[in-house]
Amino acid sequence: MSALANQALAYVDVLHNLARYLTGNETDAEDLVQETYARALRAEHQFTPGTNLKAWLFRILRNTFLSSYRRRRNDPTVGGLDTVAAEDAAAPSDWLLGDVELDRLRKVVADEIEAALMTLSEESRTVILLDLEGLTEVEVADVVGCAVGTVKSRLARARAALRQKLKDYAR
Amino acid sequence: MRCDEVRLHLLDYQEGRLRLEAQNAVRAHLDGCPDCTRADTVEQELTRLLEQRLPQHPASLALKRRLAARWSQPPASRSWWSRRRASLAPVLAAAAVVLVATPVVYYERAASRVAREQTAMVAEAVNDHLRLLASPRPLDVESGGLHQVKPWFAGRLDFAPVVTFEGDADFPLKGGTLGYFRDRKAAVFVYARRLHSISLLVFRADGLPWPSRGLTRINGVEASVAAERGFNVIVWRRGELGYALVSDVDAGELTAFAARLTRTP
Repeated sequence: MSALANQALAYVDVLHNLARYLTGNETDAEDLVQETYARALRAEHQFTPGTNLKAWLFRILRNTFLSSYRRRRNDPTVGGLDTVAAEDAAAPSDWLLGDVELDRLRKVVADEIEAALMTLSEESRTVILLDLEGLTEVEVADVVGCAVGTVKSRLARARAALRQKLKDYAR
Repeated sequence: MRCDEVRLHLLDYQEGRLRLEAQNAVRAHLDGCPDCTRADTVEQELTRLLEQRLPQHPASLALKRRLAARWSQPPASRSWWSRRRASLAPVLAAAAVVLVATPVVYYERAASRVAREQTAMVAEAVNDHLRLLASPRPLDVESGGLHQVKPWFAGRLDFAPVVTFEGDADFPLKGGTLGYFRDRKAAVFVYARRLHSISLLVFRADGLPWPSRGLTRINGVEASVAAERGFNVIVWRRGELGYALVSDVDAGELTAFAARLTRTP
């Protein structure tokens, strides 16, 4: 086992977590993680020492997911999670939750947060989860393949959309 | 700084990622803008929600084993091996050490994570107790006895809280309310000891990092006794339910109370 492989295996839990939120099920998540490690091993020479290995693995995982998803999307028997991709456009412009709504937000439970997150687009889920993982804007931009300046607005829109969804769940 | 600019930078502001002058500008704006202050509060709440309640999906042990097995195979052919065997022997020896050590590293990381989560459980119990104390209306149902408090939870929880202690002269039952323990709903029974309030949280026990060391046996129940921020906390599980007892009464009195709660009827 190479030193990089050894280091990379330490991130299996966080990779699997993102994979689970991308694919929506355990079987596909495990396949995605295994394929991610296979690709990373083959491309080991492309990793720049001193850069963030976790972010590099996230990028490979997401690219693997997207390429796999594109193939599956062409299969008419396979549905996709990202049929809801327009929530960003519908993101609320109001930030003024009343106290009652804020109180509801505080009472949302785990299953409801997960369900709300899963209704967002793949990109929104990804930026929210990568931000939670502590990646910098530069690293997130590298993973999702956009300009650094775009990450901030995408994350703000994604969180606003999530908040809007949570209002529907919170009772 | 305009409101829309401030809101775009709120997350960075909360994380302290802005340059000093921008950080100060956002703070100054928040001081004078109630709308942005509310937006700031909402963002903080959403972050807290995501950090503390969003379910995490770690990899299964089976997947970890499959990955370790696959990655540990040397990608060499026989002839290549025969040529390089002598020079690679020390490397492979080192790799073997890594392989042996890896489970230890994982174990230590896991043990450390579990310890942090157990500390978080205690902190959560204290926070729940504090929320109750600070609430203007701490009880949803005033006690007319356990037979009145327990039925109130019916339909409000996805489990039936198993509590048999009716309260007595030392520890009278004051009432109950609905609470939250980490990512799940909890039944909160509020008892009293003189002027002190005691919260008993009952919740589903599955998926929580229950302590396994340094436990105290109370009526056949293995309980963990801890202290945090001046409060004493006792947590235990019984069957499918978990229990967290929190109060600022001293540890001896709280243990005596736990003994009443765990006594088999």
